[in-house]
Amino acid sequence: MRTLPFRTLRAKLIAAMVVTTLTALLVAGIAVVAYDLRAYRFNTFADVETQAELLAGSTAAALNFDDAETANEGLGVLRFRPRVSAAAVYNARGKLFATYARQGTPPQFPELPGDEGVRIEGDQVHAFRRVVEQGEILGTVYVRRDYRLRERAFDYIGIVTTVAVLALAVAVLVSIWLQTVITRPVLSAARAAREVVTHGDYSARAQKFSDDEVGTLVDAFNEMLAVVEARTRDLERSNAELEREIGERRRMEEEMTQLNIDLERRVRERTSQLEMTNSELESFCYSVSHDLRAPLRAIDGFGQALAEELAGRLSGDAQRLFDRIRAATQRMGQLIEDLLNLSKVSRGALEYRDVDLSALAGQVVRELKMQDPDRRVDVSIWEGIKVNGDPRLLRAALENLLGNAWKFTGRTESARIEVGTMRDGDRSVYFVRDNGAGFDMAYADKLFGAFQRLHGMEEFPGTGIGLATVQRIVHRHGGRIWADAAPGRGAVFYFTLAPESEPVGRVASN
Amino acid sequence: MEILKSARAILCALVAATFFAVACALASADDAVGEYRVKAAFLFKFGGYVDWPAQAFADPDSPFVIGVVGAEQVADDLAGMIVGRTIGGRRIEIRRFQEHETPAGVHVLFVARAAAGSLAVVLETVANQPVLVVTETDDIASGAAINFVVVNNKVRFDVMLDSAEERNLKISARLLGVARNVVDGSS
Repeated sequence: MRTLPFRTLRAKLIAAMVVTTLTALLVAGIAVVAYDLRAYRFNTFADVETQAELLAGSTAAALNFDDAETANEGLGVLRFRPRVSAAAVYNARGKLFATYARQGTPPQFPELPGDEGVRIEGDQVHAFRRVVEQGEILGTVYVRRDYRLRERAFDYIGIVTTVAVLALAVAVLVSIWLQTVITRPVLSAARAAREVVTHGDYSARAQKFSDDEVGTLVDAFNEMLAVVEARTRDLERSNAELEREIGERRRMEEEMTQLNIDLERRVRERTSQLEMTNSELESFCYSVSHDLRAPLRAIDGFGQALAEELAGRLSGDAQRLFDRIRAATQRMGQLIEDLLNLSKVSRGALEYRDVDLSALAGQVVRELKMQDPDRRVDVSIWEGIKVNGDPRLLRAALENLLGNAWKFTGRTESARIEVGTMRDGDRSVYFVRDNGAGFDMAYADKLFGAFQRLHGMEEFPGTGIGLATVQRIVHRHGGRIWADAAPGRGAVFYFTLAPESEPVGRVASN
Repeated sequence: MEILKSARAILCALVAATFFAVACALASADDAVGEYRVKAAFLFKFGGYVDWPAQAFADPDSPFVIGVVGAEQVADDLAGMIVGRTIGGRRIEIRRFQEHETPAGVHVLFVARAAAGSLAVVLETVANQPVLVVTETDDIASGAAINFVVVNNKVRFDVMLDSAEERNLKISARLLGVARNVVDGSS
């Protein structure tokens, strides 16, 4: 509120009432006082003129017959007119003929009669009137009368003030009653609203006291409350529903978590069992391989000694059988060697270092060329392939992969081997490509199994353990290995060295 | 306003000058010497307070006649007083009568003390006529309507209402108001 410094509705109502009443009183008071004072002036004039007229009539005879006594008696009647303070009759010569002065009023009269008419002098009205009879001026009547305009005005102001105060009091009382009538429903509605806000009790209803605008407001408010209540009920119901659903879901989640925990526990148990079994197996394998080497070496050694002893004395068939024994022995030795390698790859902790894969591949290729200096192979190794991994195992993997490539390009004109890398998303894929014998992709799933061979021993010698070893190394680095090939058109081996977040599809080859 | 005021002032002055004589007469009323002068003025003024019946005048233009018996002084004063004046719109005529004369056609008849002896006769001649008879005797039962008296050196008068009513005259209450005594024989 800018104009009215009242905070409450009731104060405003009372103020409005009081201001209205005061304004009405003031206007009415001013109008009444102004009218009355005007009427008073007019009446006073009329009265004094009438008085003078009457006196003129009644004293004419006295003047005519020079009867001052009668004239004085006539003027004496004025004592019944207490407003008249003095009166006098002058004869035709302007001499005082008869006088009258109200008791308590000093008998002062104008020395000579003045002009006819009424005039105001202070709080008195003076009137002169000629006494005329038969066209003759017999004298002059003088009447002086109280003219209490100011006192009257003050009286009125007092009366108006008193009335205003009384009316104000009544107005205040009436407005207090009225504001009760008006504000009670409003306050009731406000109380109901506060109730709703503080207690959240939407079933509360404002009481309706009247059929007026406030009543309409109260109705609207109650309707609104009803709607809110219904909505709240709906919300609460749906909330309960939701809560129930959430509870159910949580229970299910808990169950699932429990199941997972069980599952994980079982997986861990199984894994540890498996690991134990595996480790036992590996130990077994290693011991077997290791222990097998000594008798095999003995067989080979003694076989060689026997061959030297019997040199030139064996028949052709015997010599051939003998050679086959030795070849088988050597092959078995190679097998045992490879098995031991595979075991080694699987055992022991990884030692991660920064490894220059390009340099490593270069070393391996140089060794291959030294072992087989007659081969003409076009080897291309991309430069600067840096990886993080165990250098010993990575070297073993590259030896196997490049060894395979070297071996399977043995019958290929203008053999070519390539080592490189490519980006697949955010990880690096390394590859070793050759244009050798290749293989049928139908057997791709058997490629990395131990002792699995896709080519005849006569065609390409090998133990079938190499790729199993490579796969073991790649897996131990958390990577993956796969191949793409076609018979007679070469093969590509791809591998990664870091765990992948999601399965990666096959990388297209040439 | 100024013009009106001055006009009124001039009028006042004129009126005052015109009736100076009357004023002088009234002023000298206190004097025993001027007693008749005052009585003359009264006689003239009575005319304004008494109603005469219509048959008292022969026609609308008939004069108002004041008869004086046995008082030349009064008649002279009256003659000087009536100049330019009227009573009830009629011009005024003064008639002088001797004691033995029969005053006829008068409206006011003053019978002075000097003619008091013939009063009864005079009254006889105007019996039942609308004539205001004014005397200055001590006998209020003489049959006159108005009788002058001198009280404290001032001229006053008594009014005999029944005498006036006998002659069909109506005397104004205002005249009665200034009379010393009003005698009402009927009451």
